Amino acid sequence: MIPDTVEGAILLSVIDFFLSFIIIGGIGVVLSLFPYLNRLGEVSDHDLKAGH
Amino acid sequence: MWDQLLTFLQALLDQTGAAKFWWGNAVMILVGGTMIYLALAKKYEPFLLIGIGFACIVSNVPGSDLILPGGLFHYAYQGVALLIIPPLIFLGVGAMTDFGPMIANPKLVILGAGAHLGIFVALIGAKAIGFSIAESGAIGIIGGADGPMAIFVTMKLAPHLLPQISVAAYSYMALMPLIQPPVMKLLTSKKEREMTMPPMRKVSRLEKIIFPIVLAVIVNMFFPGVAPLITMLMLGNLLKEVLMVDRLARTAGGGLMNVITITLTLAIGSTMAADSFVTLKTLEIVLLGLIAFVFGTGSGVLTAKIMNLFMKNKINPLLGSAGIASVPIAARVSHVVANRANPENFLIYHAMGPNLAGVFGTAISGGIMLALLGVQ
Repeated sequence: MIPDTVEGAILLSVIDFFLSFIIIGGIGVVLSLFPYLNRLGEVSDHDLKAGH
Repeated sequence: MWDQLLTFLQALLDQTGAAKFWWGNAVMILVGGTMIYLALAKKYEPFLLIGIGFACIVSNVPGSDLILPGGLFHYAYQGVALLIIPPLIFLGVGAMTDFGPMIANPKLVILGAGAHLGIFVALIGAKAIGFSIAESGAIGIIGGADGPMAIFVTMKLAPHLLPQISVAAYSYMALMPLIQPPVMKLLTSKKEREMTMPPMRKVSRLEKIIFPIVLAVIVNMFFPGVAPLITMLMLGNLLKEVLMVDRLARTAGGGLMNVITITLTLAIGSTMAADSFVTLKTLEIVLLGLIAFVFGTGSGVLTAKIMNLFMKNKINPLLGSAGIASVPIAARVSHVVANRANPENFLIYHAMGPNLAGVFGTAISGGIMLALLGVQ
């Protein structure tokens, strides 16, 4: 897919660098929604540690 | 009779390692000794450098079968070559990691991408000096400062370069307290370094339980090439966060991690035999690795400064260099540099956010690289 040349290395780098920003940014957007999970209820550490 | 005796003694000497010892072995023994010195005297990552240094020394005493097929170190190396050890390391890392700082401030995760410019500077540099594009990709991933990821990507792209790349990656990770601060100070003013950050919100138990499940699905779906690593990282974290399987989490992050660390350091050190290591290619890879770390540190700081142009609540630019994945070393370095500028400044918790995001940043960069180079 990517040619084995310096130009290919530059192309790979540019695509990879900017695409990783987009994906990480997307993860950041997903994480920004996490506080809404707390509306589902609270999970008690005590109950979890009580185990099975 | 005298001639016979001399012939006998010569034959005996030829059986020993001393007869095969050459200056390259002496150089590598010195390198191994330096690693142990740095671990003991300077306290640079002793858990890694002591094992790697010792195995390096022993592997450069010729004559034994330690590093030969069937030898003890050979089997340790198979754990790396067969990609068993890196996922198990990530299991332990996940079980020891609190991803709360990353969840609490999602804005900072972008630094986990910004601090990876070094990967691509090294990649382009490696290609320019004659490595193949696959080899260049493997060399570039040193800049992600993630040992298991470096091993994983290298085994997929250029397994013959594993000795040099793994040694460079782990050595530079251990030397980050030396490499990063000059770059950080060059790119920031004292006023910027003194900047304190407001307290972060508390992350609930539910969020911490959901996090590894959601991240595993997202990253594995888009980058199946790195699924073994991300899966084990998130499994370890899930074991930790559910609280009710504490025994499993403690084993993953404790005893198992110790066993794997010992095995890994022996494996890496055993690849440092002079015959294959004392070459021009090794020097080139080591230099490119250093360039990757320097540029990664710089790009992380600059990414934070660029973010500050658009953010109302500014962030300390030193958080940017923590986006290099080496957890928790890079975060610790950011904290120390900030604390030296302002003794009231405790950045460690904030710096862990981008530091942890950097793990995903390296995985994503590696995954994209594998996909673009057509490797499964």
